[in-house]
Amino acid sequence: MPWVMIAYYMISGFLLALLAWNFVREKKSLDNLVLYLLVMIPLVLRLLRVK
Amino acid sequence: MKREKLAKPLLAAAALALIIWGGLPLYRHRHFDMPVVEGQGVTRVVRLSEYGPGLRGTMADTSVFVLEGKESGGKAVLLGDTHANEPEGLLASLLFIENAVVEKGTLYVIPFFNNSGSRNTRPGDGYPLYFEIPTDWGLFQVRMGNRDASPLDQWPDPDVYVHYPDKQLLSFIDVRNVNRTWPGRPGGPLMERVTFGAMEIMRREGVDVAIDIHGAETMFPVTNCIVAPEKSVKIATLAALNVKAKEGFENHVEPSPVGFRGLSHREIGDHSGTLPFLLEAPIPFLDQPTGPKTPKLLLDGKDPFLLSLARRKKLFVAYDESGWPLPKRVGQHCSVILEIFRQFSKRNPEKAIVVRNVPRYADVVRNGVGHYLLNPAGADRKNVVMN
Repeated sequence: MPWVMIAYYMISGFLLALLAWNFVREKKSLDNLVLYLLVMIPLVLRLLRVK
Repeated sequence: MKREKLAKPLLAAAALALIIWGGLPLYRHRHFDMPVVEGQGVTRVVRLSEYGPGLRGTMADTSVFVLEGKESGGKAVLLGDTHANEPEGLLASLLFIENAVVEKGTLYVIPFFNNSGSRNTRPGDGYPLYFEIPTDWGLFQVRMGNRDASPLDQWPDPDVYVHYPDKQLLSFIDVRNVNRTWPGRPGGPLMERVTFGAMEIMRREGVDVAIDIHGAETMFPVTNCIVAPEKSVKIATLAALNVKAKEGFENHVEPSPVGFRGLSHREIGDHSGTLPFLLEAPIPFLDQPTGPKTPKLLLDGKDPFLLSLARRKKLFVAYDESGWPLPKRVGQHCSVILEIFRQFSKRNPEKAIVVRNVPRYADVVRNGVGHYLLNPAGADRKNVVMN
């Protein structure tokens, strides 16, 4: 796997962790909860090497 | 507060369900192996990575079926699934692997040439992940792929693909298209390593003829034809004339453009002693103005929108209510390949390639493609290659 692809997976993982952290911390907005999850889906699929 | 506490796990569970529901079919498709039964003519099976070590351990490595004749003669390479959304190439090559008996010469058949692409799909176009072909022993499930390799195997795409070695600027997406990455290089992007492996077969084994089997849109001018460079054009012309006279179907000859780099019909001839040919059969499934991209359209090639366009003379092939069914496309390929071998052998008797037991156009149209596919369940397990 080329280094740039490894870097991409690391960035994806970092963003996913940020989103998950924000999801956990979110206390008020239901809309934000849904948005965090939607943004997380493609990152999860890429990290699992599905799509 | 209570509502928010309940909402979080529920929403997370819904997202997880969405990931599983959408992701699992794609994961299964990527890891679905098709059985290929070694016919009586197959003498050995090797991996492409034996010729291109840069492929070892990657999803682009693929099986090469070798059919060696009793007598030495000429050598030929057949490539299927260069574009894995043009399954007539895959199926024609399977008919050779499972039926051909080589009397003279050697065949190297690579049915899943872009193995990564054959495990990719095009969800935006609503591609089916599989389709089924009726056979004498049941339904044969075929993995439907995409034109380009999966970004899971080769990524990132450049802004512009700079072709090697000519430095011609090509579309960024073509870096994952094995019919733009010829002649390849051992340490290049993955698809260049695939074409390099195939070039190494041709160079090391002294291959005389290479045939790259495709399908093309009915609205695309380069369809229903043999694409050949200058060095192959006489054989291609004689093959086209003979199939029309003897078997009654059109298959004209298109010249391989000198200024368009990266294509098999150009680069193989320019970088080796091999004579390249690229075969195109019309596949309505690939045309843009059709109805839904269903397995039925893929199999029968019947579409009312294309019929309407045909009446307005907007297509480059004859098209009527009978469509362009799969047996017709695969049958054409089988006959043209056999005719190319015959014409090559007539001109080079010391390097003749003599193959028998492969069905021709009329046979495949009459009996269907599935009639010539062997039952993996009925074959000795050591003779079934999963790819």
